[in-house]
Amino acid sequence: MKRVVGRILLYAAVLIAAALVAMPMYWLVVSALKPSSEIFTATPRWLPGRIEWRNFVNAWEGAAFGRYFINSVGVTAAILFLQLVTSSLAAFALARRRFVGRGFILFAVIGALIIPIQVTFLANFITLQHFGWLDSYGALIAPFAASAFGTFLLRQAFLAVPDAIEDAARLDRCTGLAFLWHFLLPLARPTVVAFVLVALVAHWNDYFWPLIVTNRDQIRTLPIGLAMFVSQEVTTDWNLLMAATLFVAGPVLIVFFLTQRYFIRSHVNAGLKR
Amino acid sequence: MGKVALALAGIAKAHGSNAVVRGLDLEIFEGEFFVLLGPSGCGKTTLLRMVAGLSDPDSGRIALGGSDVTSVPAEARNIAMVFQDYALYPHMTVRNNLAFGLKRHRVPRDQIGGRIERVARMLAIEQLLDRKPHQLSGGQQQRVALGRAIVREPLLFLMDEPLSNLDAQVRANTRAELKELQHRLGVTTLYVTHDQVEAMTLADRLAVMNLGRLEQVGRPLDVYRLPATLFVAQFLSSPRLNLLAGEIAGGTVRTPVAVFPTGGASGPGGPVQVGIRPEWLRFSPDPVAGSLPLDVALIEPLGAEVLVHARWPDGELVARVAVDGKLPDRGKVWIDAAASRLDLFDADGRRIGSTPGDAEPSNPREISPPLQPAAARGA
Ligand SMILES: Nc1ncnc2c1ncn2[C@@H]1O[C@H](COP(=O)(O)OP(=O)(O)O)[C@@H](O)[C@H]1O
Ligand SMILES: [Mg+2]
Repeated sequence: MKRVVGRILLYAAVLIAAALVAMPMYWLVVSALKPSSEIFTATPRWLPGRIEWRNFVNAWEGAAFGRYFINSVGVTAAILFLQLVTSSLAAFALARRRFVGRGFILFAVIGALIIPIQVTFLANFITLQHFGWLDSYGALIAPFAASAFGTFLLRQAFLAVPDAIEDAARLDRCTGLAFLWHFLLPLARPTVVAFVLVALVAHWNDYFWPLIVTNRDQIRTLPIGLAMFVSQEVTTDWNLLMAATLFVAGPVLIVFFLTQRYFIRSHVNAGLKR
Repeated sequence: MGKVALALAGIAKAHGSNAVVRGLDLEIFEGEFFVLLGPSGCGKTTLLRMVAGLSDPDSGRIALGGSDVTSVPAEARNIAMVFQDYALYPHMTVRNNLAFGLKRHRVPRDQIGGRIERVARMLAIEQLLDRKPHQLSGGQQQRVALGRAIVREPLLFLMDEPLSNLDAQVRANTRAELKELQHRLGVTTLYVTHDQVEAMTLADRLAVMNLGRLEQVGRPLDVYRLPATLFVAQFLSSPRLNLLAGEIAGGTVRTPVAVFPTGGASGPGGPVQVGIRPEWLRFSPDPVAGSLPLDVALIEPLGAEVLVHARWPDGELVARVAVDGKLPDRGKVWIDAAASRLDLFDADGRRIGSTPGDAEPSNPREISPPLQPAAARGA
């Protein structure tokens, strides 16, 4: 009996917590589907009386969202690809090779983890200015081509692969980068997926840096486009704003939904592995 | 003997200041099942890894099939190894565990399937080919590890205590199969173990290793019968070697518990170490001249044999005797020195008397008469 009561209380608590998290999400979606007339009502309406799909078309046409979307996809994909390449190579060396200065480099990587990213903005800006890369895709991508976070995370995952596996692979003629490709990356897959998701959210939603280094509308990304849209639009069109917000948040939500299996598992494993 | 498949000359290796392998020479012949036997920590794994090329010797040469491979990297030596904890690839199915090395060795794709099928049938793992390693029992994992080595058809198999993680029954079965398999395949095998039964049963020839050196190399029964050193005698004795301080005087060895005939071994006289295998020690239920009376302290039935522990004021002796139904009971026993067999070693632990090269009967039973339950008194 006591256990049943405990269960009920537990589920109640979980439901309340879930509702708190889901509520803004729900309100976002519902508002995006409401006609303007239903946005401000005396009592909040939990369901739209009439579903207004045109909100999305109007919002999409209200600014160059098509362009922003392509820019966001391209820039984020390039960053993720570069980070995966550089992080896995660096993590491979740091986790599985002995060389002079390894300890120092690891220390530097951890140091870079601790430093807030904003601290680096000025130096990066000046560097890009010298390159003449400001207001280009290069400015959006290059500063994020390497990731201390990814390097550290993958190093920990690569460390957990037993040495005997590497020895066995070596006798099977699989060494160096082939070992990274055929063994370390597949064996660290939950960590790789988790890292990709975290980096995806961070760079997809990044607002501050793209705002600083871009002037031209053609190379701007979704978050900036959204901000422009907000400032252009008359503030009463909340339904259009919500629809535009969904352009930004939607793709990430979908990716999370599709990969949550790995994501959750990687956190479970993170608790179990040494 | 055929051609030399593997030759080690003056191999030495230190981990830091710890000299693990100290100047080791060894020749293994083609097709031979060679066992390296030694206590844990004596440097077996270290040696095996140098042969595989996974670590470099500090000094010495390694030759494979007549060519020096000391500076050839592991991946180019065409050696396959079975690791103690198997080191199966956890993210690959059994089939891919076997196929991976073949692909990396650029075996034509149309041959890979056939080779895997053949080896899988040989090891009875056909039903397991689509499983992942974590879905296999220890014995099955061991077979897959073996299969991964066999399918490569290498120049040399290295096996690092491959049976030590199996339970007793599976281990005994696999041991027998392994020997049969190796003879069928004819691939030269260097097998490392700390288990003397494994070494005796598997080896065409074996070497006993201690503290990074080889104490003795030879055929299993030769080594068993004529241990070259006290260490070898101790290591090949189960449960342990009876060791007594003795003194040679005119054809006899005088020990605190009994006076033994030297059996031909004639030293210069003086102090010796007397080693008596449990299976070579005889007790008599009746007083024997020159022997102290001993108290039977413990009787351990092993099945067909019993271990009789007999105590004297300064120590304990253990004899392994066959039983024919009636178990010996407690009381006093005396050492039947005339019927017992012993090995004599000098102060440095080197054998005195007949050397391992001497001609000997091929059956140890011919040396010592069939065991009698000497400690068994009328029940
Ligand atoms: N990588 C290493 N670093 C330092 N010491 C080692 C290393 N590998 C083995 N040793 C030491 O070398 C000795 C022999 O080890 P090993 O070859 O594994 O023995 P065995 O396989 O016979 O049990 C042991 O004392 C062990 O502690
Ligand atoms: Mg070992």
